Amino acid sequence: MTVLRVGMCPGLSHDLINALQSAGIRTVEHLVSTNIEELAQKCSFSYKIIFQALMAVRRVLLAQHTAFPVFGLDLYEELLCSTAILSTGNPSLDKLLDSGLYTGEITELSGGPGSGKTQVCFGVAVNISCRLKHGVLYIDTSGGMSAGRLLQMVQAQIPGAAEQMAALQRIHVYKALDAFSLLACLQEWRAAGLQLMSAGSSVKAVLVDSLSALFSHLVGGRQSNAGMSMMMQVAGELKLLSKDFGVAVLVTNHVTRDSSGVLKSGLGHSWSHVPHNRVLLQKVERPGSHTCLRVAELTKSSRQPCHLQEELDISYSKNLNPENQPVTS
Amino acid sequence: MLRTVASSSLAPSVKAKLIRAGFCSVADLQELRPGQLSKEVGVSQEEAAEILKTLHTDALPVNDGGLVARGVTALELLQREQAQGSIVTFCSALDSALGGGVPVGKTMEVCGPPGVGKTQLCIQLAVDVQIPMCFGGLKGQSLYIDTEGSFMVERVVDVARAAVEHCSLLAEDAEQQKAMKEFTVEKILSCLFLMRCHDYVKLLAQSYLLPSFLSEHPEVRLIVIDSIAYPFRRDFEDFSHRTRLLNALAQHLNQLATQHNVAIVLTNQMTTKVWNGQSKMVPALGESWGHAAAQRLILYWEGARRLAVLSKSSRPDGGHCCHTRSLWSAHTPTP
Repeated sequence: MTVLRVGMCPGLSHDLINALQSAGIRTVEHLVSTNIEELAQKCSFSYKIIFQALMAVRRVLLAQHTAFPVFGLDLYEELLCSTAILSTGNPSLDKLLDSGLYTGEITELSGGPGSGKTQVCFGVAVNISCRLKHGVLYIDTSGGMSAGRLLQMVQAQIPGAAEQMAALQRIHVYKALDAFSLLACLQEWRAAGLQLMSAGSSVKAVLVDSLSALFSHLVGGRQSNAGMSMMMQVAGELKLLSKDFGVAVLVTNHVTRDSSGVLKSGLGHSWSHVPHNRVLLQKVERPGSHTCLRVAELTKSSRQPCHLQEELDISYSKNLNPENQPVTS
Repeated sequence: MLRTVASSSLAPSVKAKLIRAGFCSVADLQELRPGQLSKEVGVSQEEAAEILKTLHTDALPVNDGGLVARGVTALELLQREQAQGSIVTFCSALDSALGGGVPVGKTMEVCGPPGVGKTQLCIQLAVDVQIPMCFGGLKGQSLYIDTEGSFMVERVVDVARAAVEHCSLLAEDAEQQKAMKEFTVEKILSCLFLMRCHDYVKLLAQSYLLPSFLSEHPEVRLIVIDSIAYPFRRDFEDFSHRTRLLNALAQHLNQLATQHNVAIVLTNQMTTKVWNGQSKMVPALGESWGHAAAQRLILYWEGARRLAVLSKSSRPDGGHCCHTRSLWSAHTPTP
């Protein structure tokens, strides 16, 4: 439903637009779907206008606004060149996610309070910044960001102070405290092409912690249409961001219990179709166990069988990934 | 700019009219004037002017105090965090577990059974935030929102007197002695604002008036809500409605803490959960409320002693990222 505007393509002048509007043609869809000859008769255009202006305009608009099909083989070749797999810094989590976070995909991490979602996000950010030396965009919605904790994790991986500061400078933190500002942030990035801030290092991951803090009170009520539509717009923006710019997106979510008492991720049924991979984190209930252990279960994945479980250590106090190799395909 | 009309902060009916008229993105509307817009969309001219103004302010780059802050690198954030202070609790074990005290700019929840000392801790914090800067305090004011009626001025006077005595014993150089002249019990009481809310509607309304209160009193560094559980636990039949209200309130409080640089301390009660034939005490207000505060301190009794567990925290605290235990003596320390 794009409105016809002057300057959209050469030949679309003010007079032509006015004439089309008086015939009831206001948008691009109308123009390309009407019969040109009928239109010419209705507006009593001259022969010259029809075949020079209108046909040319129609061709240009079609070229600008159509989607073109791609061969599967070309798509596969493109994927092989452009997808990267980013290790999360935690070998058990990497095993669960089939070596790590894939760029172009959205991964969701859900868990109850204190289950370690923010710690895992910190671990991913620190690993990508220190090991892989790429930029990370971190959106904090609930005030859980602690730069001191990031420093602790960076210090466990890199010895020198100068490299530690450089690693911290590759992590960019944004605060989005309501749904509109989150959407504004994502749309601005898409417009700016993600070539912001980081001098030299490209951004490879976008982390949103947590999405449910913004949307859990907007969806699920009697009048939740506006909230649901905002959530789906955010989902669309995240998908576009991940595909167009080749970044991996990690979001966190809370959990609820359904009527039989089983834990499931929050934000409802509509959101559950959005992420490509979903991991559920839970505290380990064994008495006497190390307090930094968690159990991660894979509840949705495009590559691995579901319901795989792994035990994770979220203390990040020592170098968990001794092999210093980024995995790219 | 790729801002879409659907993502702007206009009312849904207005958005529907704009989309029906064919406007998809904000860029479509930029060249229009109110008269043209009102004709095309079918709204009055004042409404059209309002729409254009809202979209224009949405598109402006907002500074740090606004809704979308310009991003900062983690290094700058670290420098800011190190410059910010925290509010001591005068219990050294608790302070070291919290990383120096209650952090400013974040929300903290204190849960515990009745009588364990949540209100006492809150009163102590409301006095401690006013300690002058030369003693390591924040010299800020505090706001106490009382929903249960458990606020007692006599107790505040006791705690204030003890704090003044403690600081006067510590005063060594001229600057500290000068600060002690102003740090008196009367001054402490005059910098403590009290609001009483007896039901959840009043509490929600008060929370929406807080931004203007904080702008008028920029020295406020601590807001205590004691307790947040009490107004929400009675007269609520629809639990999903309660959860949504609580989540909205939690996000609003987080926004306040970040934008106005205040510490927010909430008090919660405990409830019994029956699970698999066993019962245990868990914080009230449901599981999703657990995500509200950035830190959660649970106080409990063990025999005649009070113990504290930091069950949710993101601050570095000596290598443990999850649980610490600390002793808190039976009487609130009044040195």
